[in-house]
Amino acid sequence: MVDVKIENVYKYYGSIDGVAAVHDLNMDIKNGEFVAILGPSGCGKSSTMRMISGLEHISAGTISFGGNIVNNLAPKDRDIAMVFENYALYPHKTVFDNVANPLKLAKVSSPEITERVKRATQLLEIDHLLDRRPQELSGGQKQRVAIGRAIVRQPQVFLFDEPIAHLDAKLRARMRSELKRLQVDLGVTSLYVTHDQLEALSMADRVAVMHEGILQQYDTPQAIYEKPANAWVATFVGEPQMSLIECVIRQKGSGVVLDFEGHEIAVGAKVGKVLAASKEREVLAGFRPNHVAINTRKTAGSIPGIIYARQLLGGEILAEAQVNNTMIRARVNTDFSLQLGDKCSVSLSKEDLNVFSADTGVAIY
Amino acid sequence: MASREIIRYDNSPLLRLAKILTPIFLAVYLVWTLLPLFIMVMASMKDLLDAFDTPDAGDWGGVAMFFDFTPTLKHYYVLFAENNFGVYLFNSLVASLGSALVAVTLGSMAAYSLARMEFRGKKDLLFWIISTRMAPMVAVTVPLYAIFRSLDLVGTLPGLILAFTTFNLPFAIWILKGFFENVPYAIEEAAQVDGCTRFQAFLTIVPLVAPGVGAFLVLCILFAWNDFLFATIIGSGGAKTLPAATKELVQPQNIDWGKIMAAGVITTAPMIPLGLLVRKYLVAGLTMGAVRE
Repeated sequence: MVDVKIENVYKYYGSIDGVAAVHDLNMDIKNGEFVAILGPSGCGKSSTMRMISGLEHISAGTISFGGNIVNNLAPKDRDIAMVFENYALYPHKTVFDNVANPLKLAKVSSPEITERVKRATQLLEIDHLLDRRPQELSGGQKQRVAIGRAIVRQPQVFLFDEPIAHLDAKLRARMRSELKRLQVDLGVTSLYVTHDQLEALSMADRVAVMHEGILQQYDTPQAIYEKPANAWVATFVGEPQMSLIECVIRQKGSGVVLDFEGHEIAVGAKVGKVLAASKEREVLAGFRPNHVAINTRKTAGSIPGIIYARQLLGGEILAEAQVNNTMIRARVNTDFSLQLGDKCSVSLSKEDLNVFSADTGVAIY
Repeated sequence: MASREIIRYDNSPLLRLAKILTPIFLAVYLVWTLLPLFIMVMASMKDLLDAFDTPDAGDWGGVAMFFDFTPTLKHYYVLFAENNFGVYLFNSLVASLGSALVAVTLGSMAAYSLARMEFRGKKDLLFWIISTRMAPMVAVTVPLYAIFRSLDLVGTLPGLILAFTTFNLPFAIWILKGFFENVPYAIEEAAQVDGCTRFQAFLTIVPLVAPGVGAFLVLCILFAWNDFLFATIIGSGGAKTLPAATKELVQPQNIDWGKIMAAGVITTAPMIPLGLLVRKYLVAGLTMGAVRE
């Protein structure tokens, strides 16, 4: 159990003139912390994990475990355990031998192997499957065996590479809480790579959001959701997606308002102060669907629009209103009566919004 | 694995016709393949006079004449006692087994790296490897002979092993590459994370490709065992194999059919149990790369 430091790490595939799969990455993972790397496919999250595991060469920079640089250590010398996306079980070995493999390689005595495999498999409720081979197991069972192989010894670092991506939704929800529980109980520093924001936000102590090889934001799940560092993170995290509307900051009286295609959006005093102080003129204002109201009542400051889509999400409806060429989404009650094409008015929250520079996308408020 | 149950609709007339024709076709095919072998074994145990004792055309009752003889093993005896067939059998075994082992050992190493590594010119390299099998063997025989002669390899067993390897190795590389590609690399990565060295990780997946490699080893033995061209030209003299030796039984002044038939039996016999033994693995092994999970 150690802390992990990633300093100025680059990853290039092929020539160094090409695009970096990972660009100048700096991250620290505290001892015992559960960190998730979140990003769409091709964002460099898997490359990062593979460099930590030693399966991939580090093009530049250093990775250290507890102060020791591990750049030139083979995977076996890094004392890590990894759970792979496709489980990567040994197809010709039984469940017992799969789980026991790391212990056998560590030359643990065989009574102790039996004991520890038993303990790990009991924890994962697969102790009745010890004589089976992987092909006789269901996806969920395979995944437990893969986790069993990782937790059977106490490694310095756990690495999870989309371990539950191939399970069905119900099982995935259960495994989320079980994995989190397991990590807290074992107290092992863990890195979890996923493209599923629900997994990252629900399990991790801190989330690193990556996009095109660059770390966008590294913070607690709550901060990432409430204070996204830039417009990209704002739209990537959060389901249903945040609506971004292009506005211009305009002076009005002593304060400022946002001008959205001629419609005036009033903002709260705190937001106004920040906006007035910033040098920006053109901005993107972001509203989460729960901070938007769509209805038929015309009120001061509401924007007229047309219902473009409505989706039942179970206990609520996601309504999407079109204002000129901009889509604005809102969570509304299931008694929402407006149908596609109906006229509506959109009211935006004065306080709960995020503002980003239209130029750079960096958060202003 | 896909379900073995196949839905059948037995009422189609075409299917009923097929049901009748299938056993007939199989019976004809059996006669077609087994009759020559049967005649060969019979003739190898007949005196020269008995062997040419055939009924007149159309005299079906005379078929019994085929079986009217006193079996003798003298042809076999003569082959081993006077014609050195013991040596030729040994040469055949050493040359085919040797070349198969060399081809599979070198081939699996080459195939593994070609399956796992990416490098510039990989496609060209692969094409070059298989292209060596595209030219007819006769075309390379003369230059190969010249090279082998200047290296004093003509008529030696190592020379013959090398010659057989020239056609077994490219084939081995291509087939074995498919076997390795079929094993997910993640398994080796998992092994490395578990605490294996790179080489131990490779050893972890060896059991997964072993059936295929074993089956291919047998194929290589068969190819080399049955080879005639290289055996006569490169192996002639000191490393004569069974096919080459059999050919020499055809003399200008007399063709000793009894001995030729016996030689045929000696050449065929060891390969039949080998084929039966690995039949299961041969099919499993060679189709291993065909269906992905």
